[in-house]
Amino acid sequence: MTVIDREAHGERQALEVPVVDSPPHAQPVGWHHRHLLDVDTLSWADIELVMRTTDAMREVLARPIAKVPALRGRNVTILFYEASTRTRVSFEVAAKNLSADVVNIAAATSSVTKGESLVDTVRTVEALGAQMLVIRHAVSGAPYLAAEIFSGSVINGGDGWHAHPTQALLDLYTLRSRFPDGSLEGRKVVILGDVLHSRVARSNIWTLTAAGADLWLCGPATLLRGFEAWAGRGAAGGRRFQVTSSIDDALRDADVVMALRIQKERMASGLLPSLREYGARYGLTRARLAGARPDALVLHPGPMNEGVEIAADVAAGAQSLIEEQVRNGVAVRMALLYLLAGTVRP
Amino acid sequence: MTVAAGSAIGEVVRDLEISRAWLVDPASGREGPGEVVVTDGVLEAVTWLDGAEADGIDDRGVVVAPGFVDLHVHFREPGNEDAETVASGLAAAAHGGFTTVCLMPNTTPALDDPAVLARVREATRASGSPVRALAWGAVTAGRAGETLAALGELADAGVAGFSDDGAGVPSAALVRNALAYAGALGLPIVEHAEDAAQTAGAEANDGFVATVLGLRGWPAAAEEAAVARDLAILAEVVRDVPGARLHLTHISTAGALDLVRRAKAAGLPVTCDVTPHHLALTDEWVAGARRWAWEATGDPWGDGTGAIVAAPYASSLRVNPPLRSVADAAACREALLDGTADAIATDHAPHTSVDKEVEFGLAANGISGIETALGIVLAAVDAGLLPLARALEALTAGPARVLGGAWGPGVAPGLIEGATADLVVFDRSELWTVEPDMLASRGKNTPLAGRELAGRVLFTIAGGRLAFETGED
Repeated sequence: MTVIDREAHGERQALEVPVVDSPPHAQPVGWHHRHLLDVDTLSWADIELVMRTTDAMREVLARPIAKVPALRGRNVTILFYEASTRTRVSFEVAAKNLSADVVNIAAATSSVTKGESLVDTVRTVEALGAQMLVIRHAVSGAPYLAAEIFSGSVINGGDGWHAHPTQALLDLYTLRSRFPDGSLEGRKVVILGDVLHSRVARSNIWTLTAAGADLWLCGPATLLRGFEAWAGRGAAGGRRFQVTSSIDDALRDADVVMALRIQKERMASGLLPSLREYGARYGLTRARLAGARPDALVLHPGPMNEGVEIAADVAAGAQSLIEEQVRNGVAVRMALLYLLAGTVRP
Repeated sequence: MTVAAGSAIGEVVRDLEISRAWLVDPASGREGPGEVVVTDGVLEAVTWLDGAEADGIDDRGVVVAPGFVDLHVHFREPGNEDAETVASGLAAAAHGGFTTVCLMPNTTPALDDPAVLARVREATRASGSPVRALAWGAVTAGRAGETLAALGELADAGVAGFSDDGAGVPSAALVRNALAYAGALGLPIVEHAEDAAQTAGAEANDGFVATVLGLRGWPAAAEEAAVARDLAILAEVVRDVPGARLHLTHISTAGALDLVRRAKAAGLPVTCDVTPHHLALTDEWVAGARRWAWEATGDPWGDGTGAIVAAPYASSLRVNPPLRSVADAAACREALLDGTADAIATDHAPHTSVDKEVEFGLAANGISGIETALGIVLAAVDAGLLPLARALEALTAGPARVLGGAWGPGVAPGLIEGATADLVVFDRSELWTVEPDMLASRGKNTPLAGRELAGRVLFTIAGGRLAFETGED
C-alpha cells in the first residue's frame, strides 16, 4: 500500500501545470484521489502534481486580485472539532480564493455539543449542500469515518495524533523551494520535540522519507515512544530514518530543523518534569542551531510557545521559514481543493 | 447426510440419525468415522465405523462433537437490551454451535445479588431456548471495585463463579480477599487482567501499527502486570484456602501466557482462556489488512504484499484487550497446543450501532463473536496450526473443566451413549458468508462482515432439544 515511490515515476518528466483559472473537472490532470485523508496513499507522481499545482496557485496569489473562479458554486464546508486559527483560516482563504462558497462549523457552537454523532453531523452538512468537507478532529482516524458516508471529497485538516496531510505537503513545498535543485535528497532534516503526540511529525515522516531526506526524530525518550520500531521498518518505500534523544547528534550538520509545539498537558501526565527543563534540554536556541549547518532552515507548524520549544530570536531569525510556511499553506490548500474538486462533478 | 431434525426449535429431538460423519469425542479422546442416533432427546447410539464402512469419510466433511461451552459472553440483559437480550444471545449461541454459555455480570444493574440472577433466569426460561445459561456473579458490589459483592448469597443462588469482567479488580488487596472468600465457597475468580493505570485512554495494541496510526498504545505490560499480580497473590492464598481458584479470561499476550505456563508448572490452581479473535486476527486489521495472523508480517504498509485492502480505523476492531501482534496471536495458538490455555471463549460483546458506528477512539470495546467463533477456529485448523480434536476439546471439555462443580450435567462433554443429547453438527466443507443482518445476535459489530468462513453449523442440540437447525437462519 505504500505507494510513495519516487524511483517508480520519472522524476524529471516535463509535466503539465493545470490551468487553474478554469473549473477543475474540465481538464483531467491525472489526480485520482477523491479524498485526502493521509499522505501515505499518495504516489510520488501525486506529490509532484500537488507541488506543480501549488506553483500555479502561488502565481494566482501574486496577482493584484488573488482570485480565480475555478470553484465557483462549490460548497466547501469546514468542520473543526478542535480549536484552530491558522489551519482553519488557511483553508477558508484558500477556498475563497478559488471562489468557493465557504461554510464554517466550529464544534463548540454546533449541535455536536448536544451529543450529535459525527455520522449525523456529516449527513446533515451534506444535506445542507456541502460538496467538499474539511474536517479536523481530536480522534485519530475520524476523517475516515466521515469519508465512508460523505458523497463528496473529505480533506483531513488534522486528526488526533495521526495525520496532517496539508501541513506535510506545505512543509515539503516550502523546503523544496529553498534548495537550489528543488530536491531534499540526502538533506538532513530533524523533527524536534513532542513526536509522540504529533500528527505533523507522522505525516512528515511519509513525505520527507519519500523525498529522500535523511530524516531524524529527536526528543525526550517519553515523547518518542514506539518510533524506534517504525524507524527500523522504514516509511515510504521502506526508507529508514533515525530516532534519538540526543539533540547534539540530531542537530549536527542538519540542513533543516522543524520544532514541534510542546503542550502543558504533557507535564500532568508525567511525560516531562517541567517546561523549564524541556526548554533547557530541547529548546531550539541560537546556540543549539549553531551546531547545524550555517544556512540551516527552521520550520515550526505553529502555534509556537516562544521561549520553550523555540527561542524568539530563532523563530524571527533569517533562517526561519515560519511565515513562509503560512503563506505556502494557502497555496497548497488551494492546489489540493482544486485537484480534489476535479474528481467529483459539481 | 441431509436429514431434518423433524422438531421445532426448543422441542425434544424425537429421531435424528447422522450417518457417515466424523465424530470427535473429547471424553474418550477418540475421533474417527462414525454415526450417531438421537431418539427422544437421548444420544441413543454412537457407532464407530472402520474398514470398508469408513471409506470416504474424513474430518473435512460433516463433524459431530459435543455442544460447545462458552465461558465468556455478554448478553446485556438487564440494562442494554438494544445491544442484546438473553433470548437473542441464546439464539446466537445456538447458531454458533454452543449449548452452554456463561453470562458475564456487567449488566445494568450488575449481577451482584441474587435478584438480578433471578431476572436473568426468568429471561432464559421465557426465551424457550434449550441452550443452558450459567452466570458469573460480580466480584465487587456494583462492579465498582471497592467492596465484595454478595458472594455467598450468589453462590447459594447458583452462580458459576465471580468476575468483574469489563475491568480488572483494581485493588490487589481485594483480589486477595475475593480469591480466599470465593475459594472457600468452591468457586473461581474469573479475572479480566488489565492494569488500568497503563491503559487509560488506550486505543490499540502498543506497537508499530498504533504508532503509525497515531492511536494511543495499549501495552502488553498492562495485561502481564495484572496477571503477575494475581498469580503472586494466588500462590499465597492457596496455602490458607486450598479451594482458591483463578481463571484468567481473554489472555492475549505471549508474556501473560508465559506467566500462566510457569504458574501451572508450579502447581498453582490457575486456568485461562483465549478468544478466537486473538488467536487469528492481529492489530494489522486496524490498519486495513484482512489477512489471518498466520499470514501476517506485522508490517502491513511496507512488506510489499499489498496487505491493506480496507479502510483503516474500522471500529468493529476496537476490543478489550486489543488485537495484538503477530507473535502474540501465535502464542495464543501455542498455548492451546501445550495446554497452557484451557479453553477458547468468545468474549461475545454485542453493541448497538449508536455505540459502535463512531470514531475508533470513541467506540465501545467488543466484537460480536459467538456466531463466527467456530469459523475462525476452523481457519486455524485448516491452516494446519491446530488439530481439529484439540480445537474442539478447547470448546467443550476444556471449559467444562474450568467450570468444575458448576458444570452441572453428570457427565463431561462427550459422545456418550445413553446421555442426554448435547451436540453440534457442522460441515467443514460448507462455506458461509458472514452477513451482519443474518446474525441472530442483535450485535452486528463483527469485523468479519463479508468474509467467507468454513464450517456451517447444521444442527445444535442442547439438553436433548433442538436449538438450531440450518435453513432456519
